[in-house]
Amino acid sequence: MNKIKNIFLAAAAVSAFAACKTEVKTTEPTHGSADFSRYVAVGNSLTAGYADGGLYLDGQQNSYPSIIAKQMQGAGGGTFTQPLFSADQANGSGYITLTGFDQNGSPVTAPVTSNLAIRGVVNIPSFGNVTTYTKYTGDINNYGVPGIKLLHITLNTYGNLNGYFERLLPGNAGTNTTSYLDFVTAKPFTFFTNWLGNNDALGYATSGGAGDVLTDKATFAQLYTLLLTRMTANGAKGVCATIPDVTSIPYFNTVTPALILANVQKANPAAQAIYINAKSNADPTGTAYAARPATANDLITLTFPTSKIGQPVASAGNLPYGLTPLTPIDNQYVLDANEVAIVKDYVTYYNNTIKSVAASKGIAVADMYTFFNDIAKNGLVVDGVNLNAKFISGGLFSLDGVHLTPRGYAIVANQFIKALNAQYNATVPLANVAQYRSVKFPN
Amino acid sequence: MRRILLFLVTFLPVATFAQGFQVNLAGQKQIGMGHTGTGLAQDGASVFFNPGAVAMLSQNSIQAGISPLLFKSAFNPAGTNDIYRTSNEVGTPFSAYAVWGPKASFWKVGLGVYTPFGGLTNWGNNWEGKYVVESLNLKAIYFQPTISIKLADFISIGGGFVYNHGEVDLSRAIPLANASGQDGQAELKGSGKGYGWNAGVYVKTESGVTVGLSYRSKVKTTINNGDAFFTVPGSLQASFPQPNTFSASLPLPATTTLGLGFYPSKKWTVAFDANLVSWHVYKALEFDYAKNTSALQDTYSPRQYRDAFSLRAGTEYRPVNKWAIRAGGGVASAAARNGYVTPEVPDAKRYYLTGGLGYTLANRLDLDLSFEFEHLFARKQTNIESQLSGTFRSNVYIPGVSLSYHW
Repeated sequence: MNKIKNIFLAAAAVSAFAACKTEVKTTEPTHGSADFSRYVAVGNSLTAGYADGGLYLDGQQNSYPSIIAKQMQGAGGGTFTQPLFSADQANGSGYITLTGFDQNGSPVTAPVTSNLAIRGVVNIPSFGNVTTYTKYTGDINNYGVPGIKLLHITLNTYGNLNGYFERLLPGNAGTNTTSYLDFVTAKPFTFFTNWLGNNDALGYATSGGAGDVLTDKATFAQLYTLLLTRMTANGAKGVCATIPDVTSIPYFNTVTPALILANVQKANPAAQAIYINAKSNADPTGTAYAARPATANDLITLTFPTSKIGQPVASAGNLPYGLTPLTPIDNQYVLDANEVAIVKDYVTYYNNTIKSVAASKGIAVADMYTFFNDIAKNGLVVDGVNLNAKFISGGLFSLDGVHLTPRGYAIVANQFIKALNAQYNATVPLANVAQYRSVKFPN
Repeated sequence: MRRILLFLVTFLPVATFAQGFQVNLAGQKQIGMGHTGTGLAQDGASVFFNPGAVAMLSQNSIQAGISPLLFKSAFNPAGTNDIYRTSNEVGTPFSAYAVWGPKASFWKVGLGVYTPFGGLTNWGNNWEGKYVVESLNLKAIYFQPTISIKLADFISIGGGFVYNHGEVDLSRAIPLANASGQDGQAELKGSGKGYGWNAGVYVKTESGVTVGLSYRSKVKTTINNGDAFFTVPGSLQASFPQPNTFSASLPLPATTTLGLGFYPSKKWTVAFDANLVSWHVYKALEFDYAKNTSALQDTYSPRQYRDAFSLRAGTEYRPVNKWAIRAGGGVASAAARNGYVTPEVPDAKRYYLTGGLGYTLANRLDLDLSFEFEHLFARKQTNIESQLSGTFRSNVYIPGVSLSYHW
């Protein structure tokens, strides 16, 4: 009897201690010399929360600016409104999902085509077709516009050429005359992040150096200075980010020449090389291209349809595609070694510009170039998760191989927060990376 | 959208596993006195503290006690104001001893069943370190038959054989999200066994001071055919074959203790213990899965523990016949080096304060109550393997009760 009573006593004693909390003192969030009461984000698709080849609600809700704004809440951050797609048009532009793996372990994807926010397609004279999306009206803190280059920020007609920008403007495509720079600076703000400039190099790179041109260096410097002058005109502080080395992303490192060759050799062991149509020199203005065997220094895009390899090419005497100097892989699928050198040279220039202009204005810099290069080389371990720059399995990049997963965006948000904390002597708390997902796998 | 190959699942469930969390709860009288007892011959708990002292016990006895343990740990990730806390789960370390020998004989035999190592930590499945560990329940139950011999009136020796039954249940999240964005789960659950021994010597000096020296050997505990459960998105299940099993071995370290007993008056006992735990045997933790895939490799996690020591002092006072009051405390160093602290067992330097009360319920029947408060010093760590970075703070609350019958 006594023993039972004593066990009850002991149990009562234990439950009493359950109420004791282990005392923990944490750092109070502070804003330092910055003011987060109205934070705006300027940038492209990465800023908008673009992922898996599209802009959709889930991606928007995990955009790095929204994560930063959430972390700023305790340090005087104000409300942060994003131009979200509505719940019944949650799939926005549409995107791709992973549906499984084939017998080789290759990922199989499918487009999401329901619940889109597509309004229509408008033909803009001397430009082409522009897809438009359901208009957004209301306050905006996240000005991320997929596709925008630094080159475009002063263009009055840009609201007619980019459906994602048109979506934010009151007028319909064809009637807009507001430049991006005027639009984002129309309403006063106290703090900004700026991650523009990626597309000035990425557009050229992802088209294999064939479908787009690199923004002129002097133009880049002039526009970046203009941008920061305008952004800081009313005393706002902020963070600028450098441009990652576009060749370090899975879009260029997943399908490799060696891999294609190995696949060919399974059927035809005698195959010696695959051929590409490559730039003859590293002069950006040069136009000479010639076929040659691909090497490890040539990058094949993730979008290259590998099923084309070996198909007879009628215009070249039915020689197999990609396997002879007469039937090389088309330029648009290859960022060859010379093109890589050109892109690297431009990105280095752009980043030096970003760093020096930001420094001249006393603005913090989040060095994404160095950060992502380090990840590509060494990987990154966060909260017990091994991350790297590999396609799908790396955890950072979404299914398009260019844009990030929510976990990738959370890591980017933390890089911004670290930079602003250091520059402005603030203590904005870091986001919990483990709380954000990587690529979704089908059940 | 067909793309060449390229998918190797490379998410290693990087093994993390607890250090055998040392539990010093081997007898209510001794807990009350700050875990001293190696240099004393108090009761059946000498089977654990110093088998050499068993032959010096004046009576035969049988006793059992339990010490419900509440380990409350909090974690503040570096650079954040987030706080994560372990849930209020109660571990149940226990001890039971029987000691018998003919009256006035030179020998005694004993049996001890006790839980010298264990851990119960549950951080939940929604905290920042969920990919390192969600919960761990580790138990080691030692069974120790013992014999002790009085060589002379002033010296006795003893030794025992140790059989350990170990159990582990470890859960963690796997960073593979399913279609609804939920994490995968890994659970490793199994039991195993190990063997060891202990020995001790007990001396009554001419000055009246008693001295004890005891040694408990390393017990290498091996788990074979433990269940390895992996819940992952269906499209990846082939990379995590089910059913699967694992084997692992965990060396529970040797302990060497020197104890002293002083008796300032008939009613008053003072004891000191110095204790060295040879944690250096815990170099790494390896998991060997029966079925491996490119995603599920055997794992090796360095632990690199170093030897730890503790210093303890305690006292018992018997103001009146039926009552005893006890108090004590001690300090202990950390076994886990910087960079190797894991949330299953957020090891740190610590101190503890204890108190106890003994009451004679009836002739031959004693009730002992004990209480311990243990405080682990705040420890800011970035784990080398997981890069989980932040500050751990832990407190432990341990009430306890035992009954002994002696004749």
